[in-house]
Parts: sequence; structure tokens; C-alpha cells
Amino acid sequence: MNDVTLLPPPGQPLSHYVSTAPFDPAYGEAMSDQQKRVFLASQWKLMWWKFKRHRLALLSAIILAFLYTMIIIAEFLAPYNLGTRKVDSIYAPPQKVRLFHDGNFVGPFVYGRTVQLNMDTLKREYKDNPKDVQKLRFFCHGDAYKFWGLVDSNLHLVCPAEHGQVFLLGTDQLGHDLLSRIIYGARISMTIGLFGVAVSFILGIVIGGIAGYRGGVVDLVTQRLIEVLQSLPSIPLWLSLAAIMPVTWSPLLVYFGITFILGLLDWTGLARAVRSKLLALREEDYVLAAQLMGANGTRIIARHLVPGFMSHLIASATLSIPGMILGETALSFLGLGLRPPIVSWGVLLNEAANVNVVALYPWLMLPVVPVIVVILAFNFLGDGLRDAADPYR
Amino acid sequence: MNLRFLTGLLVFLLCAVPAAAGYIEPDSLKDKVTKGELPPIDARLPQHPLRLNITGEGKAPGQYGGTARILIGGQRNISLMTVYGYSRLVRYDEKLELQPDLLESYDVKEGRIFTFHLRAGLRWSDGEPVTTEDFRYALEDVQFNEDLSKVVSPYLLVNGKPPVFEIIDDQTVRYTWEAPNPDFLPQIAAPQALSLVMPAHYLKQFHKKYQTEEKLDELVKANSEKKWTGLHINKARQYRPENPDLPTLDPWHNVTKPPSEQFVFERNPYFHRVDQNGRQLPYIDRFVLNVSSSSLIPAKTGAGEADLQAQNIGFADYTFLKEAEGSHPIKVKLWESGRGSRVALFPNLNFEDPVWRKVLQDVRFRRALSLAIDRNEINQAKFFGLSTPSADTVLPASPLYREEYAKAYADFDPTKANALLDEMGLDKRDNDGVRLLPDGRRAEIIVETAGEDPVETDVLQLITDHWGAVGLKLVIRTSQTDVLRSRVIGGTTMMTMSSGLDNGTPTADMNPRALAPTSHEQLQWPQWGIFVESAGEKGTQADLKEAKELDDLYGQWHKATDSQARTDIWHRMLSLYTSQVFSIGIVNATKQPVVISSKLRNVPDKGLYSFDPTCYFGVYGMDTFWFDKEGS
Repeated sequence: MNDVTLLPPPGQPLSHYVSTAPFDPAYGEAMSDQQKRVFLASQWKLMWWKFKRHRLALLSAIILAFLYTMIIIAEFLAPYNLGTRKVDSIYAPPQKVRLFHDGNFVGPFVYGRTVQLNMDTLKREYKDNPKDVQKLRFFCHGDAYKFWGLVDSNLHLVCPAEHGQVFLLGTDQLGHDLLSRIIYGARISMTIGLFGVAVSFILGIVIGGIAGYRGGVVDLVTQRLIEVLQSLPSIPLWLSLAAIMPVTWSPLLVYFGITFILGLLDWTGLARAVRSKLLALREEDYVLAAQLMGANGTRIIARHLVPGFMSHLIASATLSIPGMILGETALSFLGLGLRPPIVSWGVLLNEAANVNVVALYPWLMLPVVPVIVVILAFNFLGDGLRDAADPYR
Repeated sequence: MNLRFLTGLLVFLLCAVPAAAGYIEPDSLKDKVTKGELPPIDARLPQHPLRLNITGEGKAPGQYGGTARILIGGQRNISLMTVYGYSRLVRYDEKLELQPDLLESYDVKEGRIFTFHLRAGLRWSDGEPVTTEDFRYALEDVQFNEDLSKVVSPYLLVNGKPPVFEIIDDQTVRYTWEAPNPDFLPQIAAPQALSLVMPAHYLKQFHKKYQTEEKLDELVKANSEKKWTGLHINKARQYRPENPDLPTLDPWHNVTKPPSEQFVFERNPYFHRVDQNGRQLPYIDRFVLNVSSSSLIPAKTGAGEADLQAQNIGFADYTFLKEAEGSHPIKVKLWESGRGSRVALFPNLNFEDPVWRKVLQDVRFRRALSLAIDRNEINQAKFFGLSTPSADTVLPASPLYREEYAKAYADFDPTKANALLDEMGLDKRDNDGVRLLPDGRRAEIIVETAGEDPVETDVLQLITDHWGAVGLKLVIRTSQTDVLRSRVIGGTTMMTMSSGLDNGTPTADMNPRALAPTSHEQLQWPQWGIFVESAGEKGTQADLKEAKELDDLYGQWHKATDSQARTDIWHRMLSLYTSQVFSIGIVNATKQPVVISSKLRNVPDKGLYSFDPTCYFGVYGMDTFWFDKEGS
């Protein structure tokens, strides 16, 4: 048994001293707490800080979060059901919500209406009846519906007074409440972008990943394919793809078909980004290490390479959602996308696309407003995310 | 029958006026006559022109001149001018009675011997006389030429046999069949007429029989055709007047070679009609047809870009057009649609699903569907209550109309509908209150539409609720016209929505083919229609007693020799068809806006708007419309 206090015999190495104090790699360049927060923050945290400073993007994110919450509880928010129609209120203009009646505060209410048919021009003429005060009800029981097709309910955020009516954005040719239709339409229009992006995301990462990682002939073929796809004008291509969808498909299948078409044509940009990133990253040592350890291509792309620029991918995906929403709206507007009885913003606009609406019932063009809001919001959000994706710059 | 036209209407009164009765030269032709480019009026008109007596409410003999503009949805629609102009060998008058028009007179014996007396001195629009050779050429060298007509028009065959054609003298031709041919005259007067007279002097140069092979080859090449048949067919198109060189007998003839965005029709200086003052018709010098996207036509019409417009505008545009009256020099009139039903539902009795087919073939089911529809609500919501809730049948304007046909199962009676459905064994329901079929499936009725007419989807949405109340779920599916047609024939559609009977104002002498299985285009029994059409080679034979009965009656109508017998058969068919509810009519007599320039005169305030038999403006005499220069 050796004794540490004894010198070793001649020719043997000397024993050495090991300090028991903990090792501090930053010894000598100690950081303040302030510095620590920044330099040691995770990448996601950094992105969040950067993103927060982009006010417009933040606002857009809030608006979108609000809208997506809205489509989840569409049944509750819409004053009427999708199919509810009032034959005595066809082409009724929007009603104004008022607070004061005869100088007294009564809370939100609308005036009742009388309708007269002008037999000369065959126009329904609506007049407010200032004696008929219809107070709006909140958290009230109205049209019965099945929430998500599962739970029976009849709770609504806003309902008209008993035996009254409230058409805040007017009604269409069958007396459907336009506000309710816009809310239900949001469900289709806003999710179509997500599904479409999911499709293009998968395609983009897989195809771009293979091209970037394998390189050579695979890369060459993929690049040419992408160039061909990108050089085709998108609207005619959508139109022809939408036209080959069997008309016998149910509206729901058509919906998924459209998302698939939109996704199918949108992956090229993403695939290029993925490819170029991979071309750079595959030369890194940690890839070599993984290869030496026997990892196959799929694992290296999915486990080691893609996470490296995921944030960038998310940002570019966000930027392509508005394109999808516009795509759906354009296709439906042209009558080749979704068709009634499915209600999307494009379908609503398609119904509004005639001279009568422009001249006589302009409120039916209101679904343009949410389309513009959502497109702008997504664009700002994507902008903010892209800036934030590279927080060190 | 052969004397009926002689005692006909004042409007078509024939006057034996001598040729030099001082006919008045149209202003726009005076120049050409003085220069000698055209012979004077007396040399251009036939010896006895057809003299129209333009009288009656709001009608007056007019002035010459002016250009009328019409908007059309596509180049092919220039055929509208042939329909509007409505110049035929025989034609219908406003009361839908047959009158001689290009013919001086005609007589019919035993319903099978037709003798036509030509109008002496009648000339084609290029000045060549119309001769018996033109009749012979049209029949023997075109209609019965195997190269030019792959299929002989069924209206020229009786029991599969063609007529014997005789030229009696210079002014008389005769067609004789071995059995009655009741379709013959109505088809000559139809909007898309049976062509019995063609300008032989012009067309012979394109016909193999009359042209040397070298010259014909040269012509075929010069016109970039493949064969002489294609050349002849294109040069001889009368219904769609695409060839500006083709001599015609219409009031206006096309002078524009397609393709074009604008077609100009100039007056035919040899037209055979005059007004009571001896002015040669038509009054209007020129028609200009502008091709436009069909969805823009209502807007353009409202902006005053048309002088006579009814195509491509609908009742839904009325309010807009009426408001435009204030700002543009147009006037909107409301005519009545001549269809049996504006929109109708057609249960496909040849549906492929055996369980459903049995249900659809059960008359109680069809009656229940019809009774469950609240036609009044549809009328109020879509037509301002201005149309008539009715079964898919003839209109009151038809001499064959009876109230019982229009009212057949057209009342709103959900109790009775429920009772009928329960009685036929659809009495079980699921949790949602939807009835169950005998095999336990939910009674979901898929109704398909071509999706081109927004009225159809709107009406279907209303019917969805009506049928829901009696436990039947309606699912709307929109498709495209061509696809829909082939699907119906294939038996893959359960029910279709389309427009009702094309001709809502038939007379007993018109063919009742729409009421019996006769064609593959019939949405309620396409396979049975094909069976009849192909004489039993294709399709399946009607296995429903009532459909067979209709088929029998249709055969009897063809054999009937007089109007009385035909009237009886028509009534039996109408009664059977409506009581069996083979198609479910919703509303008819819907309104059709007709927009005219506020200067245009002689357009009736009320009229029947239909292709067959009134040819839209045809029977109302578009050649008598005129522009009042002083008018506002």
C-alpha cells in the first residue's frame, strides 16, 4: 500500500497534486448576471427576444392567435348557424349596433326592421323602426348546434332579442347571416393554409434534404425539376389540377384535394432552402462523426442536419401560408375550388362576384376584409420570424 | 287543316296585291338602286310578298334605319339571328298556329301528302330566284346524301322510310309518305329548322356530284378542309350563319367571317315581307352582335350597350337593370318564361343502386317528395312571388293546359307526404330523425346540378329544409354539364336538378316526345330513352307500367291523322305524367327581363320567352321592330 506522503522510489514519476475546487471554464472572464442571461440563453429564447422587438409581427401573431381561437369555437361565436336563413330578411343590409335610445343608455341594441317590396324595381327595401328596440343578449341560448359535431349545445356569444334579428354584416340572397358565414368560412380558409403548408413542408424537407445530402445526379435532377415547376405560371397550373379533380368527390374530399394541390406546387422554394443549407452543413465535422459511427442518411438528415436550421424553415413556412390562403380563395372564386354548400371566404366571394352585388348589395363583398387582414398578418409574422430566426446577427 | 291558314290571323293576312303596287324602297338601299348596283324594289320582291298588317296595342308601322346591338356569350351564338329572324317555309304565328311564310301556300292530305306552293319571284339574298331545284337539292343531294348526312333526320323518315319527292311544276313540290308524318311541318317551323331549301346555285360548286374533281380539290385546299364533305357542310351551315357568302332567306344576313369579336348582319334586300303600307321589311338596317363574357352581359346591358337583350340576363338582374333605366336610355320589360318549370327535380329511375331504384320507382315516394316542397316559400324567396307554383307541365298559355296538371301534387302538404312515406315502408328513423331505407341505410338523397345556374343551388338549399322536415336528407352536389350528363346515363346519379319541359306551350300538333322515354338526354329515364332511340339495340326497356304506357301513347300520337285524336293523346299523356310525378316541377311562368333601347318600337310588353316554339323574339316579328328617331 502506497502512502501519498512518501516520495516514490527513484526512477518512478512523482505523484501530483489535484485541487478539489470545482472547475470554472470561464475563470478569468467572469460574466455579470446580465451577460449570462444573454450569452447562455437557449436559441429559442433569443429568437423570442428578437421577435418581441418587431412590434408589427407581435401584433400580427396576436391577431392570428385570436383568429385561430375563433375558428375553434366558431359555433359559439357565430350568432346564427351556418344553415340558418330568414326568408323575410333576404338581402338585408348590415344593421348598426347602437347604445343610446332617445338619449338614454340602454346597452347594445339594434332597431327592428320593416321590409317593403318595391314592386317597380323588385327590390326589398328595409327600414329601421326606431320604436322597436331589440336589445342584444350575451351568452345566450340561440340556434341549437353540435359543437365539433359532438356535443349538443345552443350557447352563443351574441343573440338577437327574442323574435328579433341581428345581421351585423347583412344577409345574402337566401337570408343567411353574413357574419356567421364569415366566421364559419374562416374555419375552412384558415386551415387550408396550414394543411397545405404541412404538405409542402414534408415534400420540401424530404426532397430538398435528399438533394442536398446526396448531391451529384440526384441534386441535378431535383434542381431541374424545381426550375421547371417554378417556371410554370401558378394560377393556370392550379386551375388545370383543380379541373382534373373528379367532380364526384364529396366537398370534404375536394377540400383536401385542394390543400394537396396547393402544397404540391409550393414545396419548391422550401426544397431549395433546405438543399443549400444541407450542402453547407454536410461538410461539418459532426456529420463526419455521425457517419463514422454508422448512422444512415435518413438519420443524419433528420437528427443532425434539419434541427440545425428548423427555425429558418418555420419562418419561411409562415411566409408561404398566405399564398395558400390566396390560392384557395382564388380557386374558389373562379368556381374551381371549393363549392357550396361548403363555405369558405373564396366561396362567399364567388357568390358576390356579379354586377348585382356590386351595384345593390355591396356588403356581400365584406369577406374580402378578413382575407386581407389574415394575409397581411401572416406576412408580418413571417417577416418577424425570419428576422428572429438568426438571432446572433 | 289545309284551309286553316287561309282563315288565319290578320297579322298574316295575304293580300293579292299586284306587283306594281308601289312598294317603298328602304332608305339605305336607294343609293345602290340609283347607281344600278341593285334592281329596284319591285324587281326584288316576289309577285305576292307576304303583307303583314302591323296593328294592335302599342304597335305601329315604322320608319327605316338604325343599328341594333346585341350581346352574345360566344361566337357560336350568332345562330340567335336565325332564331330571332324567324323566316321559315312555314312558321308559327303569335297564337302558335302554322302559317305559310316563304311558301305562298301549302296543303296536307291524310296527314302524309304535303304539297308546297312556292312564292313566285322569291329570291335569295344574292338575287337568284328560289326554284324547285333548291328543294330537290336540299333533300336528295344533302339530306339523303350518305357522305353529307351520316344520319338522316328522323323527321324525314316514317317507319324508317323516306318520302317520295315530286316536282309537280315550276312552283309546286310534293312530299309523300306511306303513313302520317305529324312532325314534318312543326319541324320546318322549329327554331332549329329542318332544312328543306338550300341555295343550289351557290352550293353545287362544293358538291362532288356537280363539280369536277380537280376544281373541288382546289376548293378544299383553298379553304383548308380535309374532304369535300367538310367543305360543303361548313359552306352550307344555315342555322349558324358562319359563311358570309351563303345566300339566305332571312331578314338579315351575316357579312362577317368568323373568328371575330363582332358580327355585323346587314339587311337582306330581297326579303319577302312588306308592311301594310308597302314598305319592305325589315325596318332595322343592321344588327351588330358583340361577343362578350357571359358574366359581364348583365353589367353591359345595364350600361346601355345593347338595344335588344334577353340572352344571358336573368330575373336576378332585374333590380339592377330597372335602376339602370334611370341613368341609361334603356327600357326593361318582363316577359314570361315558356318552360314547364323554371327548375325541376328529376329522380333517376335508372339509378344503379337496386334498393334506391325501387324506392325512386315507387310513385308514392315521388309524390311525397313533391308534396313536401313548400313552393310558396321558394316563389317568395327567389321570385318575389311573381311566378306560379306548379308541377312540371304545360303553361296556361297552351291550349292543352288544365288546372289539374299544374296542381298535381304541387300543394305543400307535409302530413300527406309523411303518410305516403310511412305507407311505403320508410317508417323507421334514426337518432337524427332521418328515415331509413329498407336495408337500413339513411335516406340521403344526393341531388346533382350542373352548377352553372345559381338559382338551382339556391332553390336546392330551400328544398333541403323542406325535405328535412319529412325525414329525408338532401345533399347537394355540383358538377359540370357534360360530366353530369354521362353520369346520369351511366346511372350513377340519384337525382338531378335542371330546367323543366323545354316547350311549356305546346299545341296538340307538336311532338309530345318530352313526356315519354324517347331520348338519352332525359334525366329521369335515360336508359329507357336510349332503348327507344336505338330501336331496342342499346339501353333497357322500360319496366315500369306507366312509362310503357307513355311510350305506347307516343306511338299512337304518330299514327293519329287529325288534331282531335292528337289532343286526346296529349291529354292522356299529360295526365299520366303529372299524376306519376316523373319530374318534380317547382315554379313556372317565371319572369324574364327583356332590355330594349328606349327608342325601339313594336317590342311587345308581354311575351312568352322561349326557344321552342316561339323562337324568343321570332314569332313577335323582329323584322317589324324599328327605331323611333324622335323617341327618347
